[in-house]
Amino acid sequence: MNELAIKDLLYKLADDQLILGHRNSEWTGFGPILEEDIAFSSMAQDKIGHSLAFYTLLQELGEAEPDTVAFTRNANQFHNSQLVELPNGEYDFSLIRHFLYDNAEIIRFEMLSQSSYEPIAKVATKLKGEVKYHVLHANTWIKNLGASTEEAILRLQSALDEAIPYALGMFEPSKYEQELIESGVYAGEEAVKTAWLQRIKTVIEKTELKLPDLSTIEPRFGGRYGEHTEHLQPLLDEMAEVFKIDPTAEW
Amino acid sequence: MSLTSLDPRVTRLNLPEGEAPAIEPKPELDQFETYEVFHQKKEGAAYTYVGPVHAPNEEVAFLFAKEQYSRRAACTGMWIARTEHIQVTPYAGDGENVYDMVRAQDPTEQSEQPEPYEIFHLKKRGKAHTHAGRVMATSYQEALQEARNQYGDKGPIVNVWVVMSKHVLQSAEEDKDMWTTIPEKKYREAIAYKVMDKITKYKEEHKTTAS
Repeated sequence: MNELAIKDLLYKLADDQLILGHRNSEWTGFGPILEEDIAFSSMAQDKIGHSLAFYTLLQELGEAEPDTVAFTRNANQFHNSQLVELPNGEYDFSLIRHFLYDNAEIIRFEMLSQSSYEPIAKVATKLKGEVKYHVLHANTWIKNLGASTEEAILRLQSALDEAIPYALGMFEPSKYEQELIESGVYAGEEAVKTAWLQRIKTVIEKTELKLPDLSTIEPRFGGRYGEHTEHLQPLLDEMAEVFKIDPTAEW
Repeated sequence: MSLTSLDPRVTRLNLPEGEAPAIEPKPELDQFETYEVFHQKKEGAAYTYVGPVHAPNEEVAFLFAKEQYSRRAACTGMWIARTEHIQVTPYAGDGENVYDMVRAQDPTEQSEQPEPYEIFHLKKRGKAHTHAGRVMATSYQEALQEARNQYGDKGPIVNVWVVMSKHVLQSAEEDKDMWTTIPEKKYREAIAYKVMDKITKYKEEHKTTAS
């Protein structure tokens, strides 16, 4: 099996989780209600935990240790989709991003739990219950707020319109796409996207929201190959601030 | 007076200086209603009351309950019931049995067909209500009588909650995996941070200079 292909897959999974985990953690102390403050903080811990699990698999394949990988790379060495690095914005945007991201993440975890590469299959099987809850959280809020007041609907709709090109960017094919599919490691981005569309449509149909016509939208690709928005580097600088002062710090 | 925050997320907000605007009084009745939460600590154990949440509806109550009451503690399942749907008996003193106090009452509302009701017992004041079982009845009053017949002789019971099963949102069997990794999340508990050694060591080192 092509080790480069597996590493590429692990990097994009782990980087997505780390960066979104960090964004989620930025809600700590700022949530619109206490319960959501706790929920985003709790999901932040889960996401960063997931990234650690995947960085650990990378270490087993000869990459540097997780802290080094997480805290010492520059933006152009990150493989996350641009969706996850965008600033939190207001709660509407964070919620829409969470909805669009986690409905794809659960599909990836379900597929990966069947992966022919056993270490990935084990991690995905073990952690997918947590992602299932993240999806439940996102879908419940979208269903409730997306069918509530005019303000909530307008805000969510505009957040959805803004986020959707970036969400499509999550499915940027890797250069190893064919190999991963043929070797049964991963069913590939096209398969994830098809299942994802089905999932998000089912939820959106229960609300007043409208999914934009995806055929007219240019996906924001590039993230998987190290091309990022201006927002990623400042996030990395902030995330690694303590590590850079004292790499041996413990708490 | 202006304050500079050490939190970069606050600094980024570029909050205007000066007095904070007055907070407008909220209209009455803007609070969410309350829901009561029961959890199952391990497979096969009886569901036990853990506390309330405020929520706009049952499914959001479930989310809040999941975060409030199972973010840390071991859990294999969760039930949610609207406070309003729970009928509460009077309280007996510790050591007494409340079933000896409640008299048979005429039903206030009655269904044509018997329906399932969940019965929760409080064995001692200060403890939590625990699921005793399910009975079939056509009213709350009949359910309470039925509960007395089936579970009423099991030692002291100071209070009983009766709720129609259809008013209890129960977590699905296939969703149990949402909780499987909780025991590994010790980092969420203060006890996981073993700092006392470091504090003691620091104090030792700085003993002479401090005095």
